[in-house]
Parts: sequence; C-alpha cells; structure tokens
Amino acid sequence: MISQACIQINNLTKRYFASKEDSLKQVSLNINAGEKFGILGPNGAGKTTLISILCGIIQSTGGSVKYFEQGKEVSLKTFRKKTGFVPQEYAFYQELTPNQNLEYFGALYNLSKKEINSRTEKLLSLLGLSKVSDKKVQTFSGGMKRRINLAIGIIHKPTILFLDEPTVGVDVQSKNAIIGFLNELNKEGTTIIYTSHHISEAEEFCNYIALLDHGKLIACDSLTNLLNLHESSGLKSLFINLTGEDYRDNV
Amino acid sequence: MFKLWASIKKEFYLLLSDKVGLVLMFVMPLLLVFVITIIQDSAFKLVNENKISIIIVNQDNGNQGEKLVELLEGSGLFEIEEDNNIPSEKVKDELLNRDKLIALYISSDFSLKLNEKAGQISSLMMEDLGLKETSEDNKDIKLPSLTFYHDPVLQENYCYSLINIFYSFLDAVENSLMIEKFYLEMGFEKVPEKLKEKIISNKVNIIQIPATSSGSDVLPNSTQHNVPAWTIFAMFFMVVSLGNNIVKERINGSFIRLKTMPTNFFLILVSKMIIYLIVAILQVALIFSVGVFLFPFINLPQLVLPSNIVAFGTVVLICGLSAVSYALMIGSIAKTQEQANGFGAVSIIIFAALGGIWVPVFVMPEYMQFISNFSPLHWCLEGFYVLFLKGGYWAELYKIILPLFIFIVCCQLITYLKLRVEKII
Repeated sequence: MISQACIQINNLTKRYFASKEDSLKQVSLNINAGEKFGILGPNGAGKTTLISILCGIIQSTGGSVKYFEQGKEVSLKTFRKKTGFVPQEYAFYQELTPNQNLEYFGALYNLSKKEINSRTEKLLSLLGLSKVSDKKVQTFSGGMKRRINLAIGIIHKPTILFLDEPTVGVDVQSKNAIIGFLNELNKEGTTIIYTSHHISEAEEFCNYIALLDHGKLIACDSLTNLLNLHESSGLKSLFINLTGEDYRDNV
Repeated sequence: MFKLWASIKKEFYLLLSDKVGLVLMFVMPLLLVFVITIIQDSAFKLVNENKISIIIVNQDNGNQGEKLVELLEGSGLFEIEEDNNIPSEKVKDELLNRDKLIALYISSDFSLKLNEKAGQISSLMMEDLGLKETSEDNKDIKLPSLTFYHDPVLQENYCYSLINIFYSFLDAVENSLMIEKFYLEMGFEKVPEKLKEKIISNKVNIIQIPATSSGSDVLPNSTQHNVPAWTIFAMFFMVVSLGNNIVKERINGSFIRLKTMPTNFFLILVSKMIIYLIVAILQVALIFSVGVFLFPFINLPQLVLPSNIVAFGTVVLICGLSAVSYALMIGSIAKTQEQANGFGAVSIIIFAALGGIWVPVFVMPEYMQFISNFSPLHWCLEGFYVLFLKGGYWAELYKIILPLFIFIVCCQLITYLKLRVEKII
C-alpha cells in the first residue's frame, strides 16, 4: 500500500529577526500519513523551528508547506482541527487539576462536555493519572507533567500529532509509558512527528528519520534504508558520522 | 458558547488559586479603607466636631482675663481646664502631661494694660469730640500679650485659625472695655447691660452652603472620599493578578499551544476581561457594603449611596473596564512576572497619588492638578464625586466617561498591537 503524503515541505527557509544566518536552509521533505517521523539533530540544528513552522506557530521566510487530508490539499486552518501539538514546555495551567486542564483545552477543540468527560477519563487512566485527576498539577513530578502535556495534545483524537522533545527530563518509567502510549496511538492510525535528543529512543520508536544539522537537511529516509545506505550499525553512529563530534554551542 | 464558558471557568479557577492576588484585590483595600477613614475621620472630627481641649492659666490681677475665659467658655468651641497655679515656665510641660492640644497663658498685667489702652483711646475720642481738653500725655501704651502654646502635631493653618478665634474674643473684650471707659468719661456710672450684650454678640452671620448642582446638602466626609477612592485603587491593583496571569500564559507555553489550536485568541482575552470585570464589581459591592453597614458600628460616617443607580452602575462599569484594560496592557507588554508586578504596582501607586486618592487634587499645586488629568484613577474618582456630591447628573458624567473611554481604547489598542507583533493574535 502506498502511503499518502500529509505534509509536503518545499525549500523551506527561516531566518529569525536580527539573525545573520538562516535557521532553516532550503529544507524539502514529505511526511506520509501513518508514519512515526523523527526529526533529529544536534542543538541548534533547526528541529524546533521546523516543527513550529509545520504547526503554524511561526511563519517561514521562504519555501512552502502543503497540508493534505486524504490526498486533498487543505488550508492550515482546516489542518489544525486534525492536529495535536505537545510542546517542549509544560503548556498547561499548573494551578489547575488535570481534569480542569483537559476540560478547558477540550472545549477549545470544540468537543462537547460529554466527549471531554469520556476522553479525560480514558486518557488519564491510560497514562496512569486517574488517582490524581483532581489534584493541582503543580504538585506533580516531571514525568507526570509530561504525561499531562501529552494528554492535552491528544484530547481531541488528532490524526497527526506533533511532539517536541516529549520525554525530556523524565525517568525511565515515564519515558516507557509515554513511548508505549505513542506506539498505541500510531497503531490506531495517528501520524506522529517527533523531535528528540534521545537517539536510542528515536531509533526504537521512529520508522522514518529526517536528520538536520546547521539548518540543512542532511539525511531523510526510513530508518532501515538510512542504516543500510550509510553502512551504520545503529542510529547513534550514523548520527555522529553525519554531524561530527564538535560541540554545538549557540550564543 | 461552550468555549467561552470553559474559558471563563478556567480564568475563575486560576483566580481562585492566586491567593496573593485575591488578598491584594479584596483584603488590602478593606484594610486601607478602614485605616485611612478612621485616621481621616478623627482628624476631621478634631477640626469640625470635637471641642478643642485647652489649659488656661489666668494670672491676671484684674477681671478682664476672667471675662475672656467666660467668652471662650461660652463659645462652645473649647473644653477648658483652668489652672491658675501653673507658673509660665511650666505651661509647656503641663500641656504635654495633661494631653491637651493648646494652652493659653494670661499674664498678671492683662487687665491693667487693657484698661490703660482703653482709657487712652476713650480720652482721645473725647478730645476729638471736643468734650475734653487736649492732653499732652500721649505716651504709647503697649497692649498686653497672651501666650499661646500648642502641640507640635497641630498644623500651622489650624493654629492660625485658633489664634484668630482668640483675636475675635479679645476684640469683644477690648470693645466692651473701651465703651465702658467712654461712658465713664461721659459721666455715666456704668454701661447699660443691653449694650454690653450687643457688643459681644454683634457678629455678621455667615451662611455655609455646599456648592452641589443637585442642591443636595450631602457634604463630603472621610467615608465619601475614602470608600470610592480605595475601591478604585483596589480595582486598578488587579494589574498584579491579571498582569501576572497574562505574562505567565505567554511565557509558560500555554499561548504557544493555543496558537496551534482552532480557536480565536480574542476569546481568551474576553474571558479574562469578564472574570476581572466581575472581580471589580465584587470589590465595589464588598467595600461599599462595609461603608454602608459596618462603618456606623465603629462610629464612622455611614456611606450614603447615590440615588441615580443607573449612573452608579455606569461609573462602576467604566472604572472596572479601565482597570481591566490597563492590566491587560501591562500583561501584554511585560516580559516577566517581576516586570508586571513591579511596574504594575508602582505605576498604580503613582497614578493614585496623582489622581487624588490619597490627597485631594484641589490641594495640589496648579501644575500637579494639570498632571492629575493623566491619571485614570483621577477620572474614576471624579466619576464617584459626581455620583455622591453632584447627584450623578449625566451632563457631568459625560465629561468623566469620555476621557476614561479614550483611556480604555488606548490600552486595548496597545494590547492588540503588542500581541499582534508577537504573532499571538
């Protein structure tokens, strides 16, 4: 079966205000429906910039992004209704409980009260947060907060889910729970677009990889093809081979 | 509609969790209203209602000192404690020891010198009228001195007022004495009692009328200034809570998530405005209720609510909207919560000082009165003054509503432009 492209990126360029260099340089790639698509790269490679443009948070300075639903091009506004976003930051209200957060964000996704209640119950149960559903999030551990962040991003059952470093700063248990849950979502048909610094996690989770460095796309293919093409034993050695061992300190 | 409702609910939960903000918006103004009103009311009563406590040391060897004391007693202005055994050098200490505000020392030669002066004047009058031969003895007789002691806490203008009261009674004593001398020189034995009474009570009556356009006889008192003034201050102090709320959302990633969602950011702003407008109305209800129901129990003047309820509602709404709009603007401009807190709070304190919340604008120098026009709190306070003191006439209120409306539009416009630049809207 040939997968349909859901996002088509052509010569995408981004230069931030007052910056002398492009953060993204002529990036072109396709993301197909149903993939677990990993965008990887060292610090400052342009991962967050790329995912932010795809979500519509920031605008590109050049090139184009086309969105498709069942083979038909749609506007970003239409596309947004079907997408979920889990940012790096804890993008919710720590003063509220998980229930209150999910009710609010669910309503903004136009869900009914009934849908919100059933989805909230299910999601909190799957993510192991049922017992703390009425406790303020500010008292939670980092791993619990990451899971709430994820639950909010998928309350409306998105068909495409963007995740920016979803497991950063969490323990192994929470990381496994999050990755396991994302695998389940993908099996149900959700396309997952994901950035991470954890190469081994990406290798285990993703079936398609785009590797960025200094704003340029340096490799993009299925994981198997990439490893075969570069004769690498694993993603970590491939990553080092292609990006080098120099520090990427941005000032 | 469900989106708006959910948004309002979220803002309500956030507000409930902001304990410091709630204290600043509800408890702080209540304390301020109580403390400032009690202080100002006691000062007001000290000047306007209470008798002034005074020690009089009358060392006069004659009877004119006694006459002056009787006149002061009869005025009803003073609570007199007469102690003629206090030596002049001890009067100051006794004033402080006995917790009095002022003391008056009448010297032993008071009657003697007054008599001499009155005799000289009556002789001159007789000479002028040709009823007596011109005398060569025209030596200058000095009038006696009274010594006035006062507590240093008394304001200078208040002391001058008291000295003028003494001058007024001294005039009566002197006039009476002169007429007496004149009568004696004319060969009469004594001045008719009727004439003496007339001399003492002969004062032009001054009628006091408050200049209100409605004809209302309600005079501004400490309650009518402080209750609305500190309510307005509390309304604008929501900048700490609401400003913080917006900055927090901008920096914690919630706004970023909202940008990826199929929603209009105006909805979020509208829900914030609705919740904080309700807060402003609750502040008015709470603080005004205290003025109406609680103040009389602690011996403070009761707050008399304005009769024009529609105008009252309009002023409350426009003041609330001004406060909310200002907080939105600060929240959208500030980069950190510290900036929103610091700048927001300090700016409100400065606006309050300029706007006449602490000290009425009319006592400020002319250039400061001009500057006060740039404080939104000044216009809000003027709005309440129109309600309380001028019957809430619409013709007067329009002059207040217009500048506040311009202020609201400016704040909202700056908020919109700032969020637009940040691509949040």
